[in-house]
Amino acid sequence: MYTLGIESTAHTFGVGISDDERIIANERDTLKPASGGIIPREAAMHHFKFAPEILKRALDKSGLKLRDIDLFAFSQGPGIIPALKVGAQLSVFLSKKYGKKLVGVNHCIAHLEIARLYTGLTDPVMLYVSGGNTQIITYYNRTYIVFGETQDIGVGNLIDKIGRRLNMPFPAGPKIEELAKKSNHYIEMPYSIKGMDVSFSGIETFVSKLIGREKTEDISFSLQETIFSMLIEASERAMSYCLKNSLVITGGVAANKRLNEMGEKMCSERKAKFKPIPMEFAGDNGAMIAYTGYLMKDYKQEDLGIKPKFRTDKVEIKYR
Amino acid sequence: MKVLAFGSEAVIYEKEGIIIKRRIKKGYRIKEIDERLRKTRSKAEFNVMRFLYENSLNVPKPLKYIEDKKEIWMEKIDGKRLAESFSLEDAKEVGIMAAEMHNLGVIHGDLTTANMIKAGKRIYLIDFGLSYHSSKDEDIAIDIFLFKNALKSKHNDVYKEAYSAFLGAYKSKIRKEFKGIDTHLKDIEERRRYNESY
Repeated sequence: MYTLGIESTAHTFGVGISDDERIIANERDTLKPASGGIIPREAAMHHFKFAPEILKRALDKSGLKLRDIDLFAFSQGPGIIPALKVGAQLSVFLSKKYGKKLVGVNHCIAHLEIARLYTGLTDPVMLYVSGGNTQIITYYNRTYIVFGETQDIGVGNLIDKIGRRLNMPFPAGPKIEELAKKSNHYIEMPYSIKGMDVSFSGIETFVSKLIGREKTEDISFSLQETIFSMLIEASERAMSYCLKNSLVITGGVAANKRLNEMGEKMCSERKAKFKPIPMEFAGDNGAMIAYTGYLMKDYKQEDLGIKPKFRTDKVEIKYR
Repeated sequence: MKVLAFGSEAVIYEKEGIIIKRRIKKGYRIKEIDERLRKTRSKAEFNVMRFLYENSLNVPKPLKYIEDKKEIWMEKIDGKRLAESFSLEDAKEVGIMAAEMHNLGVIHGDLTTANMIKAGKRIYLIDFGLSYHSSKDEDIAIDIFLFKNALKSKHNDVYKEAYSAFLGAYKSKIRKEFKGIDTHLKDIEERRRYNESY
């Protein structure tokens, strides 16, 4: 069964195609704002502009024509409204034109499903870290429960905000990571963990005041160590609390080597498993939507509209 | 010495009827952060336990704190973790206890059923590593929110009834005006991502 999945929740427009559980195409383009964050309208314009090209590239890669597709899937949310609309409209159009079923997929769950597929870990705790999302999710009682999350801004967003003040390009993660390697001087920062939740806004205020007074390398190093320690600690708490013995880290911030190293170390100390997921499938991508759509192929869905505030634990997981 | 439990941040030993909680080193974080967290949390935990014990809240009697080992020694409570034997009636008991703790100006910081021990009819609070002194509505609301979330994730089948039993008992005991706490409670839930309010 061929499933075509469309991702357009934020700044990435992606199309992926799966043949049953095998990914056969995964194409995308990501909007990189020259300065500042994502402007919703600009994201939508970007997706409109790139949709035909990305769709064609994915089809070429898989050697399929649109009429060969058996099932269409799209990212229903959570995300930015204008961006979500592009993927929704395109997939509604395709499913109507070719008379095939349409499935709406929760973006966060798709991240988890593709992580399970590529790591082979069947029941992990997932630390999902991106610009807008910071969640610790695990399977419990036929739903994916958000065990911990940020009480304010996403961790990627925090890094980008600080990067912007330090005149770094967007996204700032790679530059912060590079500079952090050049320092081992730790500046004490607020460490804010509340149960299994984390909070970053206090750190943002604190770090802003250091800019110009401390070396950028030291700020980068201390920032990474502080926020990643918080995230790994919260992940470990979730693992311990729900008796799970494996961890995956996904989302754009999963590209950071130090974060992965800390996750791996935490797991090895508690004799749990840790596996990194290929970066191609850690950032936002269409393949995860196609694959999750395939898993949901037998679902009856009444609401196929976009869901900008779609919560992970609102989806009943019938296929597990 | 017998190992009773490996928690996510501490090992619990038993030695001649005494419980020893030792905060272990975490290799994933740098020494500066690791030392600071283990030290401040152990010390804060010991002080809060002593304060609550002296004010007759159900907590294990704290015996001593050994700073270089990050160890807290306390009296053993014979019972089971509430997470393993939770029932609706317990929710009410927890509500009373949480209110009494907040009346004393203490925030637990990690209020879940895993951090409670049931011994006969009594429930004891443990794990004060994230505790601090505060009487602010906002901080109190976080405790309530954490407990609500723990019910939802760990005791989903009785979550709604349990939360309302907890809240009913809590409101009957809390000396502060609940309205102020409630405002912050709603605010926290709002601040968390993607609440489907529409």
